[in-house]
Amino acid sequence: MLDQMRDRSELHRIGMALVLVAAMTVTMILVNQYVRPTNRSVVYLIPVIAAAVWWGVLPAVMAALAGIVAAVFFFYPPVYSFKVPQSPQLVNLALFLVVALVTGRLATAVRAQAEVARKREKEVRELYAFSRRLGTARAASDIYAAIQEHLSNLIQRKAVLFEADSAKPVDTGGRNDQWVPEQIHAEISRYAGGDGTSESGSVIDGGGGHLWLVRHVAPKTPAFGAIAIDLGGAADSGIDDVRGRIDEVLADAAATLDRLDIARVIDDARMRSETEVLREALIGSVSHELRTPLASILGSATVLCNTPTVAEDERLGALANVIRDEAERLNSDIQNLLDATRITSQSLKPLQQWVECADLINSALERRDRRLAGHVVTTDVASDLPLIYVDPVLMEQALVQILDNAAKYSTPGSTISVTARREGDEIVLSVADRGTGFTREEHDHLGERFFRGQRHLTTIPGSGLGLWIANAFVTASNGELEVTSSGTNQGSIVSVRLPVVREAILQLERAGDE
Amino acid sequence: MNSDSPVVLVVDDEAQIRRFLRAGFELDGFTVEEADNGSNAIRKATLSPPDLLIVDLGLPDMDGSEIVQRLRAWSSVPLIVLSVRSNEAEKVRLLELGADDYVVKPFGMAELLARAHAALRRRVTTSTGEPIVKSGRLTIDFGARLVTIDSERVPLTPKEYRLLQVLAQHAGNVVTHQHLLKEVWGSPHVHDIHYLRIFVRKLRQKIEVDATKPQILLTELGIGYRLAASPPAPAIGARQITET
Repeated sequence: MLDQMRDRSELHRIGMALVLVAAMTVTMILVNQYVRPTNRSVVYLIPVIAAAVWWGVLPAVMAALAGIVAAVFFFYPPVYSFKVPQSPQLVNLALFLVVALVTGRLATAVRAQAEVARKREKEVRELYAFSRRLGTARAASDIYAAIQEHLSNLIQRKAVLFEADSAKPVDTGGRNDQWVPEQIHAEISRYAGGDGTSESGSVIDGGGGHLWLVRHVAPKTPAFGAIAIDLGGAADSGIDDVRGRIDEVLADAAATLDRLDIARVIDDARMRSETEVLREALIGSVSHELRTPLASILGSATVLCNTPTVAEDERLGALANVIRDEAERLNSDIQNLLDATRITSQSLKPLQQWVECADLINSALERRDRRLAGHVVTTDVASDLPLIYVDPVLMEQALVQILDNAAKYSTPGSTISVTARREGDEIVLSVADRGTGFTREEHDHLGERFFRGQRHLTTIPGSGLGLWIANAFVTASNGELEVTSSGTNQGSIVSVRLPVVREAILQLERAGDE
Repeated sequence: MNSDSPVVLVVDDEAQIRRFLRAGFELDGFTVEEADNGSNAIRKATLSPPDLLIVDLGLPDMDGSEIVQRLRAWSSVPLIVLSVRSNEAEKVRLLELGADDYVVKPFGMAELLARAHAALRRRVTTSTGEPIVKSGRLTIDFGARLVTIDSERVPLTPKEYRLLQVLAQHAGNVVTHQHLLKEVWGSPHVHDIHYLRIFVRKLRQKIEVDATKPQILLTELGIGYRLAASPPAPAIGARQITET
């Protein structure tokens, strides 16, 4: 089928060459009426060279022969006959034939070289585009997409990349068809598994007369994954040439992957998902293992506190209260650790809903009523505040942390004032205490996990997690935590700034409708 | 209520928890039965139905929601769940399945007893058809559809009254947002929490001394609302009813 097509186009080219010769003849007959060139056969070199440059050797030879025939018939006496009368003219014709064949051959060679040069230029251009893409690649997926497209362009065959672990096709943005035959998939899985594979890859019959090459993208770094390339029919020659070019492309790509340190990133991602599973398990078990006995201790202590015989004895009552309060403190410490783990593992998933500021503040105050009992707590919540859109549980926990801090760093009996008001486009929830405040240096470190001021290290127990957790929780609800202090022992004001949502104001305005 | 010694069935696999719950409930006048797993609990509850169930969610043989579902299939016994998980969605699910209230471990005995008494009272009011619910200074007369504060009538819109009525039917226990929205606004609005927030705010302005420091209509963040069973006596004297 292919051969037939080739024959047809060759015939077509010969035909074109003959047309050229005919055109030359007509031109010569017209010119003949005005001037009479002596050696007219030389003119026929023109169609020969043209045919050689455009269409190759055979059309050129045919043009030369046709040229001789035409010259003899039209121009050599006797005109309009095929008789070749004199020997000098015969020599002329023979010379013409030799010159025509040599020039034809030369012209064909020139043409072939030009073609090779054009093809090279295209390859170089593609290679340049490929390396530019590799150079600008910021992630492995960019590189994978570049490899896949470049290989497809270069060898005009399908190339599909696969991830190292899962042996699933790499996501290259759905630009390529990623289907491969079943046998190839099995081989890819073997390469992904990394057992019994060869450095240069293996060639496998994928059915339908197609051979496939399966190999690692980079034999030295199996983590970069594997690739399957359709090499075409088994009978095709030049498979070695194609494999050589594939090797070059993949070597370039592997170097870029190395440069980007993708191997480490891929490894990290795998490690992270493993440690995350571990961490989740740990969170679960810590929360259960520590809290179960704590629930018994705290529960028993509260029963003791309410038992008449204990409550009536001042010393016993005080002891029971100590157990209860310390168990509560331990519980909130565990809660802090769990919260900190959730933040660092980035597993905070805020569930936002419409909430009243007053509800948040009251709920936080109630959770800390025993710890705040020694302080004078005043609240001032504007009654016409729009609703806020936050995760109520996280926001309450943030306020609890802020209240804890206020209670911890101010003397019993001093005032802690909690306010909620609107300031322009923001709702501000503030907790102000008259406590130790912050030095400039302490203030600069407030955002750091586990940071504790030097002057409190030995006097006030704490983990340095409180404000850090509060900040993370507030940020998760699109708020901002702001800490101000007029200076050492001047007290401090910790504020949560939340944006007023336009919808919330509309809700208030529409609230009259039933 | 203590005179007839209500029976509480405590279901928890931790012996230490059962021990202090027994002490706490007995001190409060309850008779205590125990079960250490779900199937035992269901068997005991079937053989001699208790007045109240306290169910831990981390049972070895049965998921918390399963035990609630299986009990609710035939019994309306007051049921309070104990949860170590501070997962709001889980609590809401259990309440929707029919639990009367929840307490998060670790908890104080006083808190659990308050929930328990409220849950028991609900059973008494529903079985006797008691038409009046009181919450401190607030009185709700279902028969007359009348809400008063210190004997003074509070003018309420129909939806405000309905909201208060649903809360009063569960006085002392939490009622989820979803339940309130469904009862007052209907199923299509079950996720429109802001309706509820705005109406609760208006209701509080009518029945609370200070709407920003509610003593009667309490918020359970992320879960729902609770009508206080016995709020502390107000510090401020007579209050004015907000005009509507």
